[in-house]
Amino acid sequence: MSTKDRLELLQGTLDLLILRTLQLGPAHGHAIAKAIEQSSEDVLRVEQGSLYPALHRLIKRGWITFEEGASENNRKAKFYRLTAKGRKQLDVETSNWDRLAHAIGRVLRPV
Amino acid sequence: MKKHPLSNLDGEIQDHIGRETADNIARGMTPADARHAALRKFGNVTLAEERARAVWIPVWLDQLRQDVRYGLRTLARNPGFTTVAILTLALGIGLTTAVFSVMNAVLLRPLPYADGERLVLVRETFRGIGNASVGHFHDWTEHSTVFEHTAAGQGTTFNLAGEGDPERVRGMRVTAGYFQVAHIPPAAGRYFTPEDFEADGRVVVLSHSLWQSRFGGDQAIVGRQIRLGGESFSVIGVAPAAYALTDPARAGVVGGFSSQLWTPLIFTPKERANFGSHYLGVSAKLKPGVSLARAQEDLERVTRGIAERYPQEMESRGVLVQSLQEQLVGNVRAQLLVLAAAVGFVLLIGCVNIAGLLIARATTRRREIAIRASLGGGQSRIVRQLLTESAVLALAGGLAGIVVARLTIDFLVNSGPETVPRLREAGLQFEVLLFALAVSGLAAILFGLAPAIRAARVDLQGSLRDGGKTSLKGGGRDRVRTAMVVAEIATTVVLLIGTGLLLRSAEKLRQVPLGFNPHQVLTARLALPAARYPDDASVTEAYRRVLDPLRGTPGVGSAGASSHVPLVSASADASTIAEGKVYPPGSEPSPMIRLVTDDYFEAIGMPMASGRSLQATDVAPGARPVVVINQRLAATLWPGEQAVGKRLSTWYGRDNPEWREVIGVIRDARSSGQSTPVPMELFLPYTQAPVGAWNAFQRSMVLVVRASENWPETYVPVMRRAVRDVDASIPLYEVRTMENVFVAVTAPRRFYLRLVLMLAGTGLALAMLGIYGVIAYFVTQRTPEIGLRLAMGAARLEVVRMVIGQAIRMALIGIVIGGPAALMLTGVMSTLLYEVEPTDPMTFVAVAALLVLTTLLASLIPSAKAARVDPLVALRHE
Repeated sequence: MSTKDRLELLQGTLDLLILRTLQLGPAHGHAIAKAIEQSSEDVLRVEQGSLYPALHRLIKRGWITFEEGASENNRKAKFYRLTAKGRKQLDVETSNWDRLAHAIGRVLRPV
Repeated sequence: MKKHPLSNLDGEIQDHIGRETADNIARGMTPADARHAALRKFGNVTLAEERARAVWIPVWLDQLRQDVRYGLRTLARNPGFTTVAILTLALGIGLTTAVFSVMNAVLLRPLPYADGERLVLVRETFRGIGNASVGHFHDWTEHSTVFEHTAAGQGTTFNLAGEGDPERVRGMRVTAGYFQVAHIPPAAGRYFTPEDFEADGRVVVLSHSLWQSRFGGDQAIVGRQIRLGGESFSVIGVAPAAYALTDPARAGVVGGFSSQLWTPLIFTPKERANFGSHYLGVSAKLKPGVSLARAQEDLERVTRGIAERYPQEMESRGVLVQSLQEQLVGNVRAQLLVLAAAVGFVLLIGCVNIAGLLIARATTRRREIAIRASLGGGQSRIVRQLLTESAVLALAGGLAGIVVARLTIDFLVNSGPETVPRLREAGLQFEVLLFALAVSGLAAILFGLAPAIRAARVDLQGSLRDGGKTSLKGGGRDRVRTAMVVAEIATTVVLLIGTGLLLRSAEKLRQVPLGFNPHQVLTARLALPAARYPDDASVTEAYRRVLDPLRGTPGVGSAGASSHVPLVSASADASTIAEGKVYPPGSEPSPMIRLVTDDYFEAIGMPMASGRSLQATDVAPGARPVVVINQRLAATLWPGEQAVGKRLSTWYGRDNPEWREVIGVIRDARSSGQSTPVPMELFLPYTQAPVGAWNAFQRSMVLVVRASENWPETYVPVMRRAVRDVDASIPLYEVRTMENVFVAVTAPRRFYLRLVLMLAGTGLALAMLGIYGVIAYFVTQRTPEIGLRLAMGAARLEVVRMVIGQAIRMALIGIVIGGPAALMLTGVMSTLLYEVEPTDPMTFVAVAALLVLTTLLASLIPSAKAARVDPLVALRHE
């Protein structure tokens, strides 16, 4: 796979992970990064810097939105949350991913 | 309102890193390690920001934003350079914009009238261009097919009385179509309708300025009665202010005044059939789509018809159709273009100076550029960055330039000559601001492109190693800077030659002898109303009674009067024949006719060439008919012969001559100004005026008083009293000394010259700075070499000679290039020059010498510096 393809794959996957994380509730950038790491049991170590371009891409597509809020220690922070469109997109992407995983699984381990 | 997602992105990212750091500390790391780990985990912050921004903003735009910020920072870090550059640009862009603003107002913008481009003037031609007769006007109107409206007008002065002191105002009597031809909706009331012409015609339209100044802009002015020439007129409307600027009455008349009011001009049937007296100014509006050529053809057809009916009168007479706009601005176009060229040159020289400074700076910035290049900037990116820097500088210069432009425009509008039409309209209109922007962009390219390309082509390794301190191998950049200065010098040569030609021309003009003595002379004009002075006798009696007390006043050397005085607008001309000579039809000379009193020539200071002047006996009742002519007329009527004693007839035409004896010939005088040829002049005693002459001159004379003691102005009260004692209702106007008239007539010329001189001086100063800059730069670069030479025994004088020699070489090349360029370009100036060829060798040589001198001056300091180089210090730095 070329660097470009890998990047695109990574981008698409990262987008999905972000959407999934936000499905559980609004969060700010750092929290999203931590959640992805923790729930993937640290297997997925995304360079945290690429989080922000991804977030902005998602905002532009209208799948997430943002608002000012207060964080745990009462500091001002930007919170992101899913939109209705985003929720729908998440369902679509999740089922796509499942089908893909299933298909690859069938190829790797033919029954 | 929702903020943009990108707002405070860097803050958000810093928060993120802060939180990760906090977590790391919680995991047991030291604060320093915690932050270090957080940063590493995050990755490249700048890259993250850029990629996030790239989602919303196209990459090129974001890069532009970066470049602009970087450019601003760089400019702020070099305040010296930035100040000099912005000042230079402000001057160049500001002046160029100001000149464009004037050109826009005067030449480019359409006339304020509806369909202004369709307006024309129709003139009769007779060995020149002149006014039309009533018969012509009617035939043209009735028989031609190309006009939508026609109008005729006669310039008149009126005595305006009531509601204030009696005032003499200039105005026009016009036909019904006047305001339809040159139409702008009235400021109040209405314009003339055909009904106004059927009644007694006692209606008047006021000008905007008269309405404001005399009637206080009173809204209820319409319907009010005012007294003109002793009669009651009803005000029906007011023309808008824009009329004053482009009054067709002014077209083609230098120093013509705009009309203050308009009254109907009604022709009797007899007048309508008169094709012999020519005093009307005819204007017309062409039908849409009719070209000037077609109108000319059509009018020639109609005029031929007139010639068929009146062959004798129409001999050598034709017709000419001219565009009104062309007539208004044609004679200033050349001047404005020359001014525009001069300003353009100044800007060019300024930009080259800045480019030189940028190139010099690029040497010291090599390290910085090399670093950016090695970080993956790419050459084109660097060029773009440097160009953006130049653009920021140019924009800053442009903004400052707008301030300069505003000041310059105000100066030009307030002190500029009256003779430039629509000058008052110059300002910072939208199109002018757009021009300023365009010029700024052009300047940015002019001074930024070459340095940017040069700077980007950098030897990476070499620059990084020695930090850009040592000199280059000399060759490349030296040549470029030399070429730049040579170009500057060549441009300065062209600028100076143009200025020099104008200067020589002005000097030649100044030296033209006037033919009369304008010093110590006071003049004032008055006009007698027809109602109270119906016949010639009453008119001459009135003037005699005005002059008598003046002649008796102590301190007055001589006092006289004339219907027209030199340097003030031209008068009527009439065909004249010498007794006993045969003239083929249409070839009679047509001198200017003047009515004068005795003592007039003495008062105005016109010496006799032969014969004698008019005396009291010549103006006494019953004196025999005599006349005084000028040398030019004498030479035309009796070439090679003595004119005194011979007889001529004037005014009446060849069929009923009235013979008058020539008693004197006066020396030629430049009655129409120094730049126009001497006219033929014929002076009749005012008591022997031909029938209708007083009417044609509107019973007006100019009093001329020569003071033998004190300033001429001291006799103004005496003059006023003398007039008041004869008739208290007659105003005295245009009271001024002849010197003031002369100064006023030459003022436009002097003003223009001063402008051009200022520009040339600025260009020369900038060029001198440029030469200084490059020579100083050379000396700095060559300091090691100079040190070496000195150490090896060279004399200091030799070093100085080397530096100056280089400077002179550049100057000479510049002159050699600029000279022929000037030869090609100055051809367009020939209409502005008086008795000076555009290729005048004296001017070229003088300019070359001036430039060599300037170059020497500019290289004084650097060469002195070179001579003082300490060889030890110089070599140590190698």
